[in-house]
Amino acid sequence: MRGGTVRFVLRRLAQLVPVVLAIAALNFALAKMAPGDAADILAGQMGHATLEFTQQLRREFGLDLPIVEQFLAYMGRTARLDLGVSVIQQQPVIELIADRLPATLLLMVTALVLAIATGVALGVAAARRQGTWIDNLISVSALLVYATPAFWLGLMLIVFFSIRLDLLPSGGMMQIGVAQTAVGKVLDVARHLILPAATLGLFYAAVYARLMRASMLEVYGLDFITTARAKGLSEGVIAWTHALRNALLPVVTLAGMQVGHLLGGSVLIETVFGWPGLGRLVFDALVQRDLNLLLGILFVSSVVVVLVNLVVDLIYGLLDPRITHK
Amino acid sequence: MNTRTLSLALVVAAIALGAALPAAAQKKGGTLTYTFHPEPTAMSTISTTAVPVSLVASKIYESLLDYEGPGMKPLPGLAESWTVSKDNLVYTFKLRKGVTWHDGKPFTSEDVKFSIEKVVTPFHSRGKTYFGEVSAIETPDAHTVVFRLKSPVPYFLRAFQASESPIMPMHGFTAEEIKEGKIRTAKIMQAPVGTGPFKLKEWKKGSHVILERHPGYWKAGKPYLDQVVLRVIPDGAARAIAIEKGEVDLAPMSGLPPAEAQRLGRLPGITASQEGNEGLGPIMWLEVNNRSKPLADVAVRQAISLAIDRKRLVDVIWYGQGKPASGPIVSGNPNHYDKKLGPLEYNVDKANKLLDAAGYKRGKDGVRFKLTQNFLPYGEEWVRQAEFIKQELRKIGIQVETQSLDMGGWLKRIYTDWNYDFTSNFTHNYPDPTIGVQRAFISTNIRRGATFSNSMDYANVKLDALFVKAAQTADGPARNKIWEEIQAILRNDLPVIFLMEISYTHVWNKRVHGLITNGVSMYSSWDSVWVD
Repeated sequence: MRGGTVRFVLRRLAQLVPVVLAIAALNFALAKMAPGDAADILAGQMGHATLEFTQQLRREFGLDLPIVEQFLAYMGRTARLDLGVSVIQQQPVIELIADRLPATLLLMVTALVLAIATGVALGVAAARRQGTWIDNLISVSALLVYATPAFWLGLMLIVFFSIRLDLLPSGGMMQIGVAQTAVGKVLDVARHLILPAATLGLFYAAVYARLMRASMLEVYGLDFITTARAKGLSEGVIAWTHALRNALLPVVTLAGMQVGHLLGGSVLIETVFGWPGLGRLVFDALVQRDLNLLLGILFVSSVVVVLVNLVVDLIYGLLDPRITHK
Repeated sequence: MNTRTLSLALVVAAIALGAALPAAAQKKGGTLTYTFHPEPTAMSTISTTAVPVSLVASKIYESLLDYEGPGMKPLPGLAESWTVSKDNLVYTFKLRKGVTWHDGKPFTSEDVKFSIEKVVTPFHSRGKTYFGEVSAIETPDAHTVVFRLKSPVPYFLRAFQASESPIMPMHGFTAEEIKEGKIRTAKIMQAPVGTGPFKLKEWKKGSHVILERHPGYWKAGKPYLDQVVLRVIPDGAARAIAIEKGEVDLAPMSGLPPAEAQRLGRLPGITASQEGNEGLGPIMWLEVNNRSKPLADVAVRQAISLAIDRKRLVDVIWYGQGKPASGPIVSGNPNHYDKKLGPLEYNVDKANKLLDAAGYKRGKDGVRFKLTQNFLPYGEEWVRQAEFIKQELRKIGIQVETQSLDMGGWLKRIYTDWNYDFTSNFTHNYPDPTIGVQRAFISTNIRRGATFSNSMDYANVKLDALFVKAAQTADGPARNKIWEEIQAILRNDLPVIFLMEISYTHVWNKRVHGLITNGVSMYSSWDSVWVD
């Protein structure tokens, strides 16, 4: 059984290579379709650049080569996991990503955990009390949060918790220039994390609450729940031990698929809260035609998404032993 | 308002008094925190002269000279003194002794020669503009540098600003970086070693930069500040909140949305100033494609200019962050601006008559002809301005369709494809109009793919000759005469529609003092800035 799982993981990892390379090729084609290049943008930012200077920039960064040559060079590099040098930032892409990925992962994972925990708890609570005011309150609140733009929610949270109550910092990831102990640092980051993680997480919590409620109600209608009730088990035990495990599968599936979305959503949240993550970097790379950086971030994020989906497949097996990995 | 006038007067007085100001007024120590977005991509303007880099690099690196006042009067910097030969072809700088780099090594004339020859001239975006005429740089001893020029460069003494010609340590580059020309991506661009009052302490990408006092700084008792901190806050509203809460002391270079800058400037503890940009000379215009049929007619361009209420544009769209333009040179330039020029006329009737006389009759729907406009993708004010222009031109029977592009698309359409009718554009005079004005209007700069060049296809032989003459005449009354003539021609020909002298607004907490010192105040070293 365990050997089967290991073989499954290895096979999936092997499949991952062509998938990621295909994504990389597609990304390159899409990014190249946009008009203009980074040399123009960089020269433009400098305010005053001659044609010779712009062409010099193109030569320095290999943007003067024929597109086929650029593509082959890019694919060759990507296959060797070399992401190249950013034209605008003039630093190795891998360093730029490594600088910011931890902050984004921290924000995403916290938001996701928060969203799943809150969403599942509320969804179960609503399903258990279907049709009551609690159910209605949860459903309507979820709908409201779902319909609220995240950047607006973020700004409102800043206005309330940071300006009015002066409880939490308005942005950033840590206090700057203050000597702190290791524990102090962790608490400091945690304090800065609350608002952005809540903003990003609330939207998904609303989605999961609604999904969880529907999924629970479906499971409640199945025969084994009737059997459990007939055995005289308490409603709590039925809900949390029997129904939940079965009802969780769609939520896990959705969460896996939404890792990509979450990365997209973090662009806005990171901007509002000045969170030093990848989100803002990918946006700047896109508008600045910083091809290597854009493709590098997309490459890393596609690897993350594919890996998370592999983990989701493994979790299926844990939740439902009938699912085996062959 | 009174307080503002008073503080302005104090700033002016501080400039006038200079070092003579009583030492008791200035406090030593403390941290100045500023915010700007985007964050710098490097710590040297050799990598790029984009605003965020210039802001931070100018605290770390110095050049041979310092500057004073809006007219950018040269003062000693890394050079203690200098002489200029009678024919304006030989500049001899005596360097200050005892200056050390942030790593403790001594600064010598070899560093200057290396920086200008191997770093600034080939890699700085304006390097060839400043030093293209240099035929030789000699270093007779460790503290003397001699520049020999092929022909006179009237703005040569304005070239030695920290962000324009930073002096970098020769020992800061590896042999390989120098040999392969990997200057722009050299390690020192991220880990700077300068002679400036501040050195890099910490750079957490995406979050903050901390600069700390350089203890070996050559100016005795300077800098006053212990630290300069940059906080990266990507959202404009969040930057304003940080200033309002006092978490951040300064938002330089229009770092806040114009509405927020205006609002905060009215709060008692905060100053919003448009001073200290004269050496940059930011200016905005409608760039007009003179190839496009009705726009090739000067009467049409003059009518468009007459139809735009620039005062309202400044007040309503830009919340007062600027003033109506009167030509290609900004009025804050005390050396070259023709003070006799009045504002450009706003007269819708006259505009209509001009178009009638030129034969552009209105159709049944009141429309004479249609044009497409693009706008600079720098944010929402630019979108609102495009809406405003559309409304103004409707009054004279020109129907305008607005087209939105991002920066990459905009640059390509305007400067490579030349496929546009008109677009908003924003550029700088820089310390001299030969650098900042000539490039947009001289006909030799009608070159496909050259950004911020003469995209209009405007060619005027007389003007070309004047530009060449101005570039070779020593600064003074004779040269000013040439610039007056150039301003008159451009105001009449209107190859672009001059709109407004867009101001860089700096918003700071009143606990900060001594920020405005010259025409590039935010790109100055801040060695004399102090906080309460």
